[in-house]
Amino acid sequence: MEAGVPLLVGGAAAGLFGSLLGLGGGILIVPLLTIGVLGFSLPIREAVGVSLVSVIVTSGASAGVYLQRHVANLRLGMLLELFTATGALVGGTIAFLVPDRLLSGLFTFLLVYTGLSMLRTRTDTEAPVDLPDADGPATDAASAPPSAGDGTAADGRTAEAARPTLAARVSGPGYLVRDIPRGVVGASFAGVVSALLGIGGGLIKVPVMHLLMGVPIRVATSTSNLMIGITASASAVIYLLRGGIDPYVAGPTAVGVFVGATIGSRTVHRVDVRLLRWLFVAVLLYTAFEMGRRALGV
Amino acid sequence: MDLEQRVGRLITFGTYLSIGLLVLGVALMATGGRSPLDPPPAFDPASIPGALAAGRPEGFLWLGLIAAIATPSARVVASLVGYVARHEPMMAGISVVILAVIVVGVALGLASGRAVTP
Repeated sequence: MEAGVPLLVGGAAAGLFGSLLGLGGGILIVPLLTIGVLGFSLPIREAVGVSLVSVIVTSGASAGVYLQRHVANLRLGMLLELFTATGALVGGTIAFLVPDRLLSGLFTFLLVYTGLSMLRTRTDTEAPVDLPDADGPATDAASAPPSAGDGTAADGRTAEAARPTLAARVSGPGYLVRDIPRGVVGASFAGVVSALLGIGGGLIKVPVMHLLMGVPIRVATSTSNLMIGITASASAVIYLLRGGIDPYVAGPTAVGVFVGATIGSRTVHRVDVRLLRWLFVAVLLYTAFEMGRRALGV
Repeated sequence: MDLEQRVGRLITFGTYLSIGLLVLGVALMATGGRSPLDPPPAFDPASIPGALAAGRPEGFLWLGLIAAIATPSARVVASLVGYVARHEPMMAGISVVILAVIVVGVALGLASGRAVTP
């Protein structure tokens, strides 16, 4: 069982980062399991299966808290995860057909581009004039839907009379979701990548929601956490039924991820958003380095 | 308690259930001398009850993994019920389609699983 201790510790570290950054932790788990830093290495496909289960646990540990605190946007999450799940289905089906090195190269480019975009647009999105609380501390009403559950809109009109658009239905107070078509494309792509590489897809979904759709970064990260469960489970079930998940590895890893994610979900509100963004960029660049090495075969 | 809070609690319950089962499985691995380096047991749902009754780690590990994978789908079912009760056909429809995608995934997994089984 000595070999299980590094899995517990490594999983805890991955879960902590995953919860804080809206990532599934898989982006760290797959390298941990494959590059030998734990004292042994797994084939990439087995690591992906273990990682998918672990990111589901990460999602569960933090998404439940975010939803109960009304930080995550359930409506927006469900709209987008319809497409992430479909993408994951496609990715899980073609996972054994796509050349790994080609995919790694494309993914490296995507990671670098996303990281640079996050840095470049920082000043543009930090505090927009019409959204003064966009990155402010989350409150109980931070991501509540624009209309109440009794069908009455926020301004007192009935929902039927107001006829809110789809964007309005999935928006929250203080921000209006925009560019849903591009969000759908990004979500679908995130699902495919998630299934192929064993990540939750948060590193794609968070920038898509934040940069393209105008969702505040804290709502985007927590909503991404919510979506990761469905995204990963859509392909994890394929890996499970194909015999691609080793329970002796997945068990200790998932337990470690849960511990780390639980700590992260209870400390994320005390983390400076600027620090969160820098951590996010750092993780992107680290992963780009790992994926680039894989693409080049070194 | 609103829909988000109910769904959040369901996710939390499912996660704790799966983690509890996985912790038991990991503890049984430790006491039974099982290592992550050991050859993995084949996934056979029919063998899980027997493994649980015998206190073998793989029974708890498999059940924990199933619970983890099923929890997000249970959340969508709960959301569907909530949106139907609130007369929100659009969100209810989205919930149904998400569940349909998951069902297709299970079907594909079963089909491909049979294809790779000797």
